[in-house]
Amino acid sequence: MNAHSLDTTLSAPASLAAPAPEARSTPPGDLAIWFFILAELLVFAVFFAAYAFARAQDVALFNAMQDHLDRNAGGINTVLLITASWCVARAVRAVCEHGRSATGAHWLAAAIACGGGFLALKCVEYAGKFAAGISLSTNTFWMFYLSLTFFHFMHVILGLVILSILWLQTRRGGYGPGHANGLESGAAYWHMVDLVWIVLFPLVYVMR
Amino acid sequence: MSGTFSKSMARNVFYGGTAFFVLLFLALSFDTQQALPQRDNRANLTPAVAAGKKIWEVNNCIGCHTLLGEGAYYAPELGNVYKRRGPDFIKVWIKNQPTKVPGRRQMPQFNLTDKQLDDLVEFLKYTSEIDTNNWPPNIEG
Amino acid sequence: MQYKSQAVAKPYFIAAIGLFIGQILFGLIMGLQYVVGDFLFPAIPFNIARMVHTNLLIVWLLFGFMGAAYYMVPEESETELYSPRLAMALFWIFLVAGALTIVGYLMVPYAKLAEMTGNDLLATMGREFLEQPLLTKVGIVIVALGFLFNLTLTLLKGRKTSISLVLLMGLWGLAVFFLFSFYNPENLVKDKFYWWWVVHLWVEGVWELILGALLAFVLIKVTGVDREVIEKWLYVIITLTLITGIIGTGHHYFWIGTPAYWKWWGSIFSALEPIPFFAMTVFAFNMVNRRRRDHPNRAATLWALGTGVMAFLGAGVWGFLHTLAPVNYYTHGTQITAAHGHMAFYGAYVMVVLTIISYAMPVLRGRAANSNRAQVVEMWSFWLMTISMVFITLFLTAAGVLQVWLQRFSTSPLPFMVVQDQISLFYWMREVTGVIFLLGLVAYVASFFVKGEAATLASSTSGRAGIGTQPA
Repeated sequence: MNAHSLDTTLSAPASLAAPAPEARSTPPGDLAIWFFILAELLVFAVFFAAYAFARAQDVALFNAMQDHLDRNAGGINTVLLITASWCVARAVRAVCEHGRSATGAHWLAAAIACGGGFLALKCVEYAGKFAAGISLSTNTFWMFYLSLTFFHFMHVILGLVILSILWLQTRRGGYGPGHANGLESGAAYWHMVDLVWIVLFPLVYVMR
Repeated sequence: MSGTFSKSMARNVFYGGTAFFVLLFLALSFDTQQALPQRDNRANLTPAVAAGKKIWEVNNCIGCHTLLGEGAYYAPELGNVYKRRGPDFIKVWIKNQPTKVPGRRQMPQFNLTDKQLDDLVEFLKYTSEIDTNNWPPNIEG
Repeated sequence: MQYKSQAVAKPYFIAAIGLFIGQILFGLIMGLQYVVGDFLFPAIPFNIARMVHTNLLIVWLLFGFMGAAYYMVPEESETELYSPRLAMALFWIFLVAGALTIVGYLMVPYAKLAEMTGNDLLATMGREFLEQPLLTKVGIVIVALGFLFNLTLTLLKGRKTSISLVLLMGLWGLAVFFLFSFYNPENLVKDKFYWWWVVHLWVEGVWELILGALLAFVLIKVTGVDREVIEKWLYVIITLTLITGIIGTGHHYFWIGTPAYWKWWGSIFSALEPIPFFAMTVFAFNMVNRRRRDHPNRAATLWALGTGVMAFLGAGVWGFLHTLAPVNYYTHGTQITAAHGHMAFYGAYVMVVLTIISYAMPVLRGRAANSNRAQVVEMWSFWLMTISMVFITLFLTAAGVLQVWLQRFSTSPLPFMVVQDQISLFYWMREVTGVIFLLGLVAYVASFFVKGEAATLASSTSGRAGIGTQPA
């Protein structure tokens, strides 16, 4: 059944050229995941607003503490996450537009590797901070640094769990053009995790 | 594929989201356990304090009073009563209940021994030294 | 009624209503003691009346949840209950144990009761809402385990719908988190920290799963909307509930000796807690507007819609009012908390139990819906109780605002008792409104005895005319 659906898609006009994505009236993926994404973005938005509010109360402390952050690690991590997002997008495209499950699985594996790299680097960063005796109770800046990044860290873990499931499913040919609801939903979630970091990194590491 | 809203996805999101936030809550609770020794005044948690806590409990003091703001709102906050009134006042007050002033709220007579009163005061002293982020706002509780 | 064994729900519902009456009577006693301090002293001191008031509330809601589960799970699973006899045995055990506990509270000094019931073996008593003697607590666990055993086996042998899964998750969670009531360390901060794992994770966690399941079940029945639609929204709503509510526990960790970061975590997450309640209200109204039939039981539909609105107001809006740490710094432990507690419990849990009773009781008594006259009386009781609860909340809020102002915020703060005297007018008004609530409750009970021709489902499924009908 799978080979059959692959066949029909390959002979379909999709293989002529890279087709322009059709304008859609609804977002890709499942509406349920979008509720979740919106709720999560709302939580992060409130958290960021709280950070801004707290920083305004004590700018000097925040600026002084910010110098202890490793911007290089943060920068590399930003690149890793954006790359992972790109890989996920390639995977979705390979599967949804071209029906190439094997290619899609490779891209997903690459994304998982990038995400894993993010976690590893972040762990090194945390290890340094914990070794320096920094905890949630040290001061307001470190409270926010640890809360925001750890909250995001857990999202990366969840995102990787989801990507791993997608990878297994894709490898088995579980998705294809017209039936990629799960893949698109998971991809949307991963992009959210990436998006949050793109706001978080400048806000906490760089901006002053 | 687009514009779908499936029950199975909603269910997966529910399980995933719940597991996520349970784990996060456990992580924060773990950190709290680590941080408590600096805040909960455990250095002064003597056997007398423990005995006093039990006297507090078996007389259902929480049924009228608040302790650190939790309990019933019928009678004054007692988390800081040690600082507000001092040990002797507290003991004399408890011994002299009820006031029997007509129409006034009445506190029962609990027939506590002197030892029990001392323990209870020790418990209230210990409670008043817990780091509560400067709550209550003033001595009146 | 589709399955014979659903009938075991009936005594549970009757017991729930009976205990509800007791709860309100003790509430009125306490309300009067707020202004006439020596009323019934020393026969029933305030702390005893309060304990009876709150414990009866918890116990009758549990009776309601259990009755609801016994009614719903066979119907959802399309099979008879695993053991109706076990359900009836547990009913009597729970009722007798509950009654004995209340009698114990009223007849024996609390310290004596603690001594008699083995509190020295394992001290668990004397903490708010968990005042039950050790024996009663153990009894609750045994009853809960038997109840869950019975329902889980019923579910396993039948159809597994999302509604019954969510309901059972909620009930299992209820039982599991109750176990923390046995943990009472000498360290007051730890004691309070885990005390909230029972109290908060019940009412702002697992109980909301039960609430959602009950509401979804009744909405399917009275609106005829596709189960698939209702169940997926149920999942969305309970997801929102748990992602805000679990970390939302932090709004209790501001001032009890727990680390300062909870002020941020608790404020941020609990500030979002109104969202699921709002979603629930929108959901309920939407489903009723999209209804495929006009169920003859209009009273049940009214209760269902009321649950959404009042839960949003009481738990959502009144919760939000004082959940942010800088506000809570001043309002913590004042009448503001009491105001929120009253409307939240009524709006969320009292009303959802009355919703399921309103829907199921006529069926259990052999008809689709009560007579028109009976329903009119029931709807009167809805409005009387709901409006008086709104006013109880408003008066307590006014009392609370004044209390905060005079005792906490002022530059020359006044002592607690002085402030209480100054705000007694609001306590009087609350008490009067409480009497009206009691009248509403009397009307509610009376509605069960109003005769008249009962409606049948077949006679009235045709029309779609009525309030707010619109395509969606």
